[in-house]
Amino acid sequence: MKYPLKLHVNQRTYNLEVYPSQNLRDVLREELGLTGTKEGCSTGNCGACTVIMNGMSVKSCLILALQADGKEILTVEGLSTNGQLHPLQESFIDKQAVQCGYCTPGMLMSAKALLDQNPNPTEEEVRDGLHGNICRCTGYVKIVEAVLDAAEKIGQ
Amino acid sequence: MSELNVVGKSVKRYDALEKVTGKAPFVYDMFLPDMLWAKVLRSPYPHAKIIKIDTTEAEKLPGVVGILTAADLPKTNHGAGLIDEPTMAIDRVRFVGEPVVAVAAESEDIAQEALTLIDVEYEELPGVFDPEIAMQTNPPSIIHPDLRSYSFSPVVPPAFDDDKPNVYNHYKIRHGNLEAGFQQADVVIENRFTTAMMQHCQMEPHVAVARAEVNGDITVWTSAQTIYGIKQMLCDALQMSSSKVRVIVPYVGGGYGGKVEIKTEAIAVGLAMKTRRPVRFAFTREEVFTSASVRHPSVIYVKDGVKKDGTLVAREVKVILNGGAYSAYGYLTVRNASFGAVGTYKVPNFKLDSYGVYTNLPIGGAFRGFGSNQVCWAIECQMDRIADHLNIDPVELRRKNLLSEGEINVSGETTHSYGTKECLEKVVEEIGYNQPKGESKGPWKRGRGIGLANKYSIAPTSSCAIIKLHDDGYVELRTSADEMGQGSRTVLAQIAAEEFNVEFDKVKVVAGDTLITPYDQGSISSRTTYNTGNAVRLACEDAKRQLFKQAAKKLEAPPEKLETANGRVFVKGSPDRSIAFGDLFIPTMFASGKVLKQGAELLGKATWYQFASAEDKETGQGTRVVAFYIHGATGAEVEVNEETGEVRVIKAVSAFDMGKAINPELCEQQIEGGIGMGIGAALYEEMAFDNGAVLNPNFMDYKIPTSREIPGPSNVKSFIVEANHPDGPFGAKGIGEGVTISVGPAIQAAINDAVGIRLGDMPMTRERVFQALSRKKA
Ligand code: FES
Ligand code: FES
Repeated sequence: MKYPLKLHVNQRTYNLEVYPSQNLRDVLREELGLTGTKEGCSTGNCGACTVIMNGMSVKSCLILALQADGKEILTVEGLSTNGQLHPLQESFIDKQAVQCGYCTPGMLMSAKALLDQNPNPTEEEVRDGLHGNICRCTGYVKIVEAVLDAAEKIGQ
Repeated sequence: MSELNVVGKSVKRYDALEKVTGKAPFVYDMFLPDMLWAKVLRSPYPHAKIIKIDTTEAEKLPGVVGILTAADLPKTNHGAGLIDEPTMAIDRVRFVGEPVVAVAAESEDIAQEALTLIDVEYEELPGVFDPEIAMQTNPPSIIHPDLRSYSFSPVVPPAFDDDKPNVYNHYKIRHGNLEAGFQQADVVIENRFTTAMMQHCQMEPHVAVARAEVNGDITVWTSAQTIYGIKQMLCDALQMSSSKVRVIVPYVGGGYGGKVEIKTEAIAVGLAMKTRRPVRFAFTREEVFTSASVRHPSVIYVKDGVKKDGTLVAREVKVILNGGAYSAYGYLTVRNASFGAVGTYKVPNFKLDSYGVYTNLPIGGAFRGFGSNQVCWAIECQMDRIADHLNIDPVELRRKNLLSEGEINVSGETTHSYGTKECLEKVVEEIGYNQPKGESKGPWKRGRGIGLANKYSIAPTSSCAIIKLHDDGYVELRTSADEMGQGSRTVLAQIAAEEFNVEFDKVKVVAGDTLITPYDQGSISSRTTYNTGNAVRLACEDAKRQLFKQAAKKLEAPPEKLETANGRVFVKGSPDRSIAFGDLFIPTMFASGKVLKQGAELLGKATWYQFASAEDKETGQGTRVVAFYIHGATGAEVEVNEETGEVRVIKAVSAFDMGKAINPELCEQQIEGGIGMGIGAALYEEMAFDNGAVLNPNFMDYKIPTSREIPGPSNVKSFIVEANHPDGPFGAKGIGEGVTISVGPAIQAAINDAVGIRLGDMPMTRERVFQALSRKKA
């Protein structure tokens, strides 16, 4: 049986009906077409599905959709505002932190949550803050550089 | 070479904007209207006969639309050289995870439930897992009794061994006189090395979406790195004519060699044809571990004869690759792994035997490095042991035995574009090899080490490119180079921009659709920049010929007097005599665009064919065996906990020779990513088995390095060395695979420097280090 669900995603409200077994990731991707949020494992280990829920970064594959009822969700599609890229997105481009790009949306969301809480992180703090997001392409080097670069830009 | 405007510059990636906004298309994100979901029932046994398959109960489940078994498919195999693999098990299963029955249903959950209602009766056969046992004359099981009757590629025919029924390929190199070499030696040193089975762990799991068109054609979207290879395998597996099959590859969420075979495509197509509805078949992460290809575990014996001063006089290598249930790309890995022992050192007397051995494990296929990781691991570790034995510094020993430009290597090829020495000296300096070691804190001891790498690229091979010039001055580039993160679209667009003297953003890239983009052998073997890059250059020349022919009339100058820049054609030396591309077109009635009066379009097209000489079957000698070699070195600094065996990488520097960096920052991306993947291989990654079943098919139990395990930007440095290759576009070779290879050996050497143990088995897990430390203490 399906249950009603009210989701606020990227400042838009959706009234949906979902099964209790559906996770937030699949609802975002399959019901709302927001496929910027990626699927890489379903066990909470890869971080590709990371979104921000009420200000906290979460692995959306581990959240049942109904648990997100009434919550504010931010996905990668909501990161840029009025066609203006978020500083993190700019830095990911400038610092060449993107390769295959499959981890990128999750990385960006984790990085945003990190900078929201700690606007001036050290290199060590960024490495620590992103450890829940696996990237198989980059060795994280340029990703960490990009996050530090964005922190600087946001701080200015 | 005249000054370059775009090539050699670190332009920002062509695909970055799409990727940071979440808009980049990946197949895993595709959900078509009216689509069905596929799930596959897999073999629970490593080796068994299939007695009976009963799907009646599953068929009755509401929501199940189609069920597929081998009986629905042509009885033809596919493969990458040796045609030994069925799409779905026919009468026998050969590994845990082999596909047996596929279901298409209205939802993923229904498809999953249907699998539980299928009854398959098996009769178990003995499994064989250890390659050294499998390659015996009388192994516990012969995994492919029909091996001799399989068809194969005439380009590289297999060599079987009469007394080893599970060996599917045996490659040989013979150079000089091995016995005489060992007689000249002052010491003979022999060691055994091993490496583990690894999974690529692309962040995007394998996935295909297939649609059967009403006219009988099929369209398949797939996350793959060899678009034309996939198309051919599909045609072979399903007995389809090539023009009936259209393959589309958008962006690929990681490949690393693991997306070159039809793991999902043929089953998705089979179900789509049967149900007449679009079908999505997406691997779960667990399926990626159990049923996609893996890096061959290896056992490698190296026996060297050396002079007291460290000069190598003889080397004998035996490579045993545990190939798993089917040969797949592993068929070629058997041959090409050998080149790891060819590309770096000068050895006057040399013998190598490389074997691919069937076992009842997941399929060993292509994995970034294609066998060179395993062989270079053994060779580099062996060099360190020679250095220990002779009490020579390991770097000094290497310097003494390196090849040089123009020298003949053990395959009989002349060495070109050999940047090894420069790479070695660079990392020696940058890692502080000769500086005093950092201080130890408590049980944590510090050490540094160096390793070398080489990686050949395949030949013969070919790539094609098409260039179309637009009336607004844009240059459109069409290739089938798969973009899996390595930056092919960016680099190829840079080459086209350079050839046409336009800004990088005036190039449009069309890629990955067999209906419109021309043949390419694929994003494998670090081959794209060199091969597709050369095709792009040639296609640009061809397009310029068309362009200048049309412009010549209007400019009243002969075509050879013309040149192009910024979407205009100029008369050389007369900047005021020029015409825009658009002015070669005439306006049409009803303002319906512009047309060329002749020739329809300004098109250039070209094939780049990289020739190879056929090598002698008994000796492996040839004059052009590979396209080129990538060379490089890594220096690592580690901390080892003497009490627990834990190893931390503190600093890593790599220098690589890619011929010419078309985009230096993209080369750095490769080098850094290679360090990351290399650390995973060196310290953590190993698929574990119980009776053929993977024990750690998830990211909790199979540990991939995170941002905590790989040093940060202040402690990872990459350096570019450019030993131009005479045949490469702007002197470029490749880079993608070389970069992982030297990391393990460097860490091995650093661990020894820290705590005085020599490890020969990769990964160097905490347990292995701990055991070696205990042995040392005892
Ligand atoms: S998909 Fe959610 S953590 Fe991997
Ligand atoms: S860019 Fe490919 S996984 Fe991170």
